[in-house]
Amino acid sequence: MASAATRVAAGAAKVVKPIFSRDVDEAKRRARELYRAWYREVPNTVATFQLDITARQGRDKVREMFNKNKHISDPRVIDMLVIKGKMELEETIHVWKQKTHVMRYFQETEEPRANDFLSKFYGGHDP
Amino acid sequence: MAEYANLVRRALGQIGGHGGVRGFLTQFFRVNDVKTGALVGVDKYGNKYYEDSKHYFFGRHRWVIYTTEMNGKNTMWEVDGSMVPAEWHRWLHCMTDDPPTTHPPEPKKFLAEVHQFNVSGSSQQYVPYSTTHKKIHEWVPPKAGAQ
Amino acid sequence: MLRLPTVGRALAGAAKSSLAPSNTVRTSVRAASNMVEVFVDGKPLEVEPGTTVLQACEKAGIQIPRFCYHERLSVAGNCRMCLVEIERAPKPVAACAMPVMKGWNILTNSEKTRKAREGVMEFLLANHPLDCPICDQGGECDLQDQSMQFGSDRSRFTEGKRAVEDKNIGPLIKTIMTRCIQCTRCVRFASEIAGVEDLGTTGRGNNLQIGTYVEKMFMSELSGNVIDVCPVGALTSKPYAFTARPWETRKTESIDVLDAVGSNIMVSTRGGEVMRVMPRLNEDINEEWISDKTRFAYDGLKRQRLAQPMVKDDSGQLTPTTWEDALTRVAGALQSVQGSEVAAIAGGMADAETLVSLKDLLNRLNSENLCTEELFPMAGAGTDLRSNYLLNSRIAGIEDCDLLLLVGTNPRYEAPLFNARIRKSWLHNELRVAMVGHSVDLSFSYDHLGEETSVLKELANGTHPFCQVLSAAKRPVVVVGSSALQREDGAAIMRAVSTIAQNARTSSGVEERWKVLNVLHRVASQVAALDLGYKAGVDAIRAAPPKVLFLLGADAGCITRADLPEDSLIIYQGHHGDVGAPMADIILPGAAYTEKNATYVNTEGRSQQTRTAVTAPGMAREDWKIIRAVSELAGVTLPYDSVEGVRCRLAEVSPNLVRYDDVEEANYFKQANELAQAVNQDLLAAPLVPPQLTAKDFYMTDSISRASQTMAKCVKAVTEGAAAVDEPSVC
Repeated sequence: MASAATRVAAGAAKVVKPIFSRDVDEAKRRARELYRAWYREVPNTVATFQLDITARQGRDKVREMFNKNKHISDPRVIDMLVIKGKMELEETIHVWKQKTHVMRYFQETEEPRANDFLSKFYGGHDP
Repeated sequence: MAEYANLVRRALGQIGGHGGVRGFLTQFFRVNDVKTGALVGVDKYGNKYYEDSKHYFFGRHRWVIYTTEMNGKNTMWEVDGSMVPAEWHRWLHCMTDDPPTTHPPEPKKFLAEVHQFNVSGSSQQYVPYSTTHKKIHEWVPPKAGAQ
Repeated sequence: MLRLPTVGRALAGAAKSSLAPSNTVRTSVRAASNMVEVFVDGKPLEVEPGTTVLQACEKAGIQIPRFCYHERLSVAGNCRMCLVEIERAPKPVAACAMPVMKGWNILTNSEKTRKAREGVMEFLLANHPLDCPICDQGGECDLQDQSMQFGSDRSRFTEGKRAVEDKNIGPLIKTIMTRCIQCTRCVRFASEIAGVEDLGTTGRGNNLQIGTYVEKMFMSELSGNVIDVCPVGALTSKPYAFTARPWETRKTESIDVLDAVGSNIMVSTRGGEVMRVMPRLNEDINEEWISDKTRFAYDGLKRQRLAQPMVKDDSGQLTPTTWEDALTRVAGALQSVQGSEVAAIAGGMADAETLVSLKDLLNRLNSENLCTEELFPMAGAGTDLRSNYLLNSRIAGIEDCDLLLLVGTNPRYEAPLFNARIRKSWLHNELRVAMVGHSVDLSFSYDHLGEETSVLKELANGTHPFCQVLSAAKRPVVVVGSSALQREDGAAIMRAVSTIAQNARTSSGVEERWKVLNVLHRVASQVAALDLGYKAGVDAIRAAPPKVLFLLGADAGCITRADLPEDSLIIYQGHHGDVGAPMADIILPGAAYTEKNATYVNTEGRSQQTRTAVTAPGMAREDWKIIRAVSELAGVTLPYDSVEGVRCRLAEVSPNLVRYDDVEEANYFKQANELAQAVNQDLLAAPLVPPQLTAKDFYMTDSISRASQTMAKCVKAVTEGAAAVDEPSVC
């Protein structure tokens, strides 16, 4: 039993099951496709959600979000990020989101909780 | 043709009815309207009440031109609907056709002697307060020097 | 048995072994051959002879319904609810009063038993109003519960009900006498536990009434316990009336800090408000009773509270401010002076966490001027030996002793539950009590040896006639009140008392573990403060007035503005605007004992913790956190920022402080006595008079009870009579 487990683990280290892409190039192609889809969708999004930004600002943000992950080279990780990006895109296209959800790409509204003693002390009763 | 003549007559009447071009412009900027009509009465604060049911549709046929100074407040530009006193309010809002000039209202003890503005939105406005008992009564420090 | 009050004696006649429950705790188990075998529902069971049927059933795990029987009171046997069938007995017997016989088979759920219970319940309900929806006992009523379980499911009742006039027995207890089922628990409690013969019965049969005979107040410091003892809603709490229901309150197990006994309490809260305080069982401290101050002073927690930090502005007026502002000013003041110019005084309700963090803060600022408000003679052994300032015999230990000498104390009002324990021992164990000090009513009889200090001297050198009795005692205990040690000749009194105790120990030949010398404290914080190394008394501060004085809930008023230089800064941290707050320059609002998780050490040296029942009001914070925040701003950050961290620090300083519910034994009595002999101080001639002499001194002793309106009413009722505080009752 134990030996079987180690064998599986050793095999997993060498050959992993791909999600979609067999190699990095294919994964990159998927990412480019997603980027293109976002790029085309941005003007619609600005119009549908009546965002107070220009399409150019929106596209810059899309580019920024993609650039944030450009160091990733594992095709599985890229695939997973593409899947997530597609989900976001779908939610945006179908207006399953609201204006605030889209604008969260531009500014995070939640403030992180304070961790040091004094801030917690000033803040209230919480420990 | 007669219609146009009528129109010009009314236009001239509106200019004349407000005391010339100057009065007309004042009226226009102050009230956003230049209606003329029969003066039904003036209350003791100087608000003038007009009626013209011939040219205007019901609901627009009675109006008030506010006085420029009421209860010590300059009301040239800052007018308020609550400047109309109670006895004129009912005539102005078509609750009755009898203006208080011809039918003076019965004196009631709840009718104010001097009409007050509505103070909502001002510092004197009523603010609701909690009527439940306080869970914690705080300590009030003694006044300095009152030892 | 002779000391049992007349009522109790008459009622206890049914069973000779009526006091068995309280005795069994302390008597040794007899030889197994003496045991009696009985059967409970056919199950065999070995019990001691003299055990009642009810106790035998209890031992077998079966609860017999009862109203009049209470395990800490004598047996009355008048409610008849505990009727059970005994096999081959002609009639059902009252289980609470009948001792078991060999071979009896007790049937607790037979047809006859159930029939008997149903019949008794029907009779009880015949004269009990059906006003449970408006009754304050609703939800925690024995009659309600038992009628649901054992009563009949339909009524045959068509007659009228008896009505009884309500009585005004003071501002604490509300009486709705129509609801009374004449169980006489309150009468027995008053005469046996509280030791006041105020309550009694008048009339017979249907006309029997519980009352005070004449219109007067039920005058006892333990009177509130009759509310818990009453199985129905006849005696309920007046301040709690119509405020909450038991099922909507949240219960928090906590500790009382209004005296040094540390009674275990249950704080009932609803919506962030303390609704009432109830006792919690702890056989070692308070059994199941609490004093009236503990129970009823909770409304003081809602008045006169400090809810915002305050600072004095230029005109000298205290004005509310923010925490940032107040703390920065405190930190600035602490930084701008030398360490030796900073001092702190800890008051009577400071918890151990706060005490240790304050001590750490001041030590980091190079100051050693940490004092407690309560004095304690520092000469001789002083507070160096722990045995010198503890109630070493423990509260429960009083039940084992046979001679008790009280010196300059009035335990009835300084520690009511300690007094109740003495009374219990006096009543059941033939304890002999003697007293040196002002003659007061202790609710039991004692030998008054005089109030002069010369008596102490004679007792110490063996010339007093009472020394004969003292040396004959097998297990003597000497208790000295902390107030006696706060006189100018405190050290000399300590020397005399220590010598008396040491002599009594040698003459009695009692084993090494038996403690003779005891100190009875009056405030909850004192033992923890002394354990942590605080100096007792503010003399050092008077001698060298500091520039910055930190008052940690110091409300006894032992230091005033006049004692300090003009430009000194006083910081007050506490929860009530009482004596300390008005003279402060900066006020830091802290939490009261129901609002924090804190450690307190009672007069025995038993550390216990309070738990947070409600959050502190407004901007008030837990006390140790305030000091931790000050330390950070003053640049000497204390190395803990959670309560666990503080407790680790407590354990470093004194491990007994975090061993909760455990008493760390103290020793070195002999060495303490030898050190005390070195004290060169003479006894003053002034008589030993404890500060709390009568009931009116009992109610308002600290910042919480002084803020309480209920306690103020009690004082008024005691001085002017119960009618003075009579309020029109709603129901």
